[in-house]
Amino acid sequence: MRRQFFFFSEMGYNVYPEEEAQKYGYTSLMFPNSIFDREKARDLWQMFLREHEFASDVGFDGSVCNEHHNNVLSMQESVNISAAVVSQRIKGTIALIGNPLPIHDNPVRVAEEIAMLDLISNGRIICGFVRGTGVEQLSTNANPAYNRERFEEAYALIKKTWTTPGPFRWEGKHYHLRVVNPWQLPLQNPHPPIWAGGILSPETIRWAAKERIAYLVLGSALDATASCREIYHEVAKADGWTPGPEHLGYLIHTSVMDTDEQAYDMGKYHYGGTSAIGRDRGGGGGALTQGTGSGGATGTPHPEWASPPGYMSKQAKAGSMARERRMSEGTYDAAVKAGLIVTGSPKTVIQKFKHIIDRTDPGYLTFWAREGRKPHDATMRGIELLGKEVIPALREHKSALVTGKEVTPWPH
Amino acid sequence: MAALIDTHKEEIVQAAGISTQVRRGGKGAPLLVIHGELGLPGWLKSFDIIAQDREVIAPSLPGYGASERPDWIMSVHDLAAWVSWFVRDNKIATPVDVVGFSMGGWIAAELATLNPAIFNRLVLVGPMGVKPREGEIFDYFLEGGMTGIRRNFLAPDSCEEFKRFWGRDLTQDETDAVEWHRETTCRIVWKPYMHSLTLPHFLLSIAVPTLIVQGEKDAVTPLDCGRMFRDVIPGAKLETIDDCGHMPEMETPARFAEIVRKFLG
Repeated sequence: MRRQFFFFSEMGYNVYPEEEAQKYGYTSLMFPNSIFDREKARDLWQMFLREHEFASDVGFDGSVCNEHHNNVLSMQESVNISAAVVSQRIKGTIALIGNPLPIHDNPVRVAEEIAMLDLISNGRIICGFVRGTGVEQLSTNANPAYNRERFEEAYALIKKTWTTPGPFRWEGKHYHLRVVNPWQLPLQNPHPPIWAGGILSPETIRWAAKERIAYLVLGSALDATASCREIYHEVAKADGWTPGPEHLGYLIHTSVMDTDEQAYDMGKYHYGGTSAIGRDRGGGGGALTQGTGSGGATGTPHPEWASPPGYMSKQAKAGSMARERRMSEGTYDAAVKAGLIVTGSPKTVIQKFKHIIDRTDPGYLTFWAREGRKPHDATMRGIELLGKEVIPALREHKSALVTGKEVTPWPH
Repeated sequence: MAALIDTHKEEIVQAAGISTQVRRGGKGAPLLVIHGELGLPGWLKSFDIIAQDREVIAPSLPGYGASERPDWIMSVHDLAAWVSWFVRDNKIATPVDVVGFSMGGWIAAELATLNPAIFNRLVLVGPMGVKPREGEIFDYFLEGGMTGIRRNFLAPDSCEEFKRFWGRDLTQDETDAVEWHRETTCRIVWKPYMHSLTLPHFLLSIAVPTLIVQGEKDAVTPLDCGRMFRDVIPGAKLETIDDCGHMPEMETPARFAEIVRKFLG
């Protein structure tokens, strides 16, 4: 496949008063919405949509949308609404990191909305599914102890909805539908490409490999992502098939500016931003921020909310705790060195991404290029440099995993 | 009293095809214990006192302690049906006296409404299962495991029973057990949280002598829940214990045992 380069922003509510965050010690779930400023939020929406539009204008292949709840981390409380709006502002693909399936009591509604999106956008949708963060199980009252069961059952139901002519009846463990027969089906036949996003939960990686759908690594370090690819390939090999780049997506914090120094400074917004809480807690839960410590516009939860009972397996929990511990003991410098945040001038970043492609060969590379309270001007400049200089230089770069050539060295 | 602690037995039995951990001690008419949402951390001092003239039988419910957790148990109703099966499989003579703690009080009450012949006398301690008219049942899932456990006590750090089981650095296995119990509880009582919409209506059908016991300073189950049980179950009595939180069986063991023994006769 031809590698695709996307722009991503959580579109977070980055204008909350820092002192309120300090006072509460968290910015999700119970962070009171009396702090929410309606006019400021309206203005943020306009700014974020302009950024998407600009990314499309300067050469990105598409934009990525997402969903979070009760959280300053993201103002996208419905990924499908975000995607619908963004689809009318950009020319390329609209990829959804994810509909968090377990929070829905009627997964067919998700299938219907994705079909609408795909029809409205003339088949420009990539459809991601996620389990939702731990906090979101609390904010949507979806039983965390059944999170994985609900995820897998909802996925199976949606897939059947798109691949089996209706009407049919669904009597599962968590979902029960008398008649499944949505009138609209996606333009892409039988359905858009599917992603499963995650933060390296080994169960989800294996599950995605079993289902032969792409696994999207959400903001994790390079070494961990390379291991994730190996796990995926091992499962596939055992099942007798070979995955291609289209089976791996990589979402990665990226700060590009004209000089390495400027980019390094702006990259700090991807690590804690202006929020000391984010730094103190190593990003805590808002699972997407794990490992980056990004707290600028991000939702820093109370640590218990990130992992409600049964949400994570013991194995995943141990991994996640270790990761949090590492990051909370870490520094911005360490995050940059680990490749959690890619910073630099176009020249530097091109070399870094060649290294990343050489080691992971992702079919979908998504630049998380707007974060936290990063100023709009700097964000726009970063988008411009990515679109006009970085992406063209990476288009023809073939992964060392394919060519067998030496891995491009990481610049120092 | 200390000697009895050494004489209680722990065994694994089968009930409804589920491998079940049971603690038993004492001699006399059986008293069935149904533990609450935290599981049963061990043989309690209050059991020891009661076991002077009763046989205390305390199973770990499926998904708690060393008992297996089948996927199909998903509600308090399921647990109530399981308790009924446990009594039958283990040849416990019925009607049997029962004491249910917290969520276990809800299970006991649920079972009493389903199978009126199974119980002789009913003791419900800080029972959940009804939605209070005032206050809210403490939400364990918004807090960490140990915060939830501590909230069960008015003064955990001066409570011998708390200190014995939880007031020290826990081993990994013990920490895992706390989390495992939270997960089992989460499976069962997530929504509606810790209460039933039908139980308040069925409580009227309970026709056995019933005592509700509640710590005056209960910070888990609002005192109004105890009053609701008392008001609806015909003839039920409510006894509150001063200076005590949600677990009188651990925080005021002597006083609690005395109340229970007096009621059971």
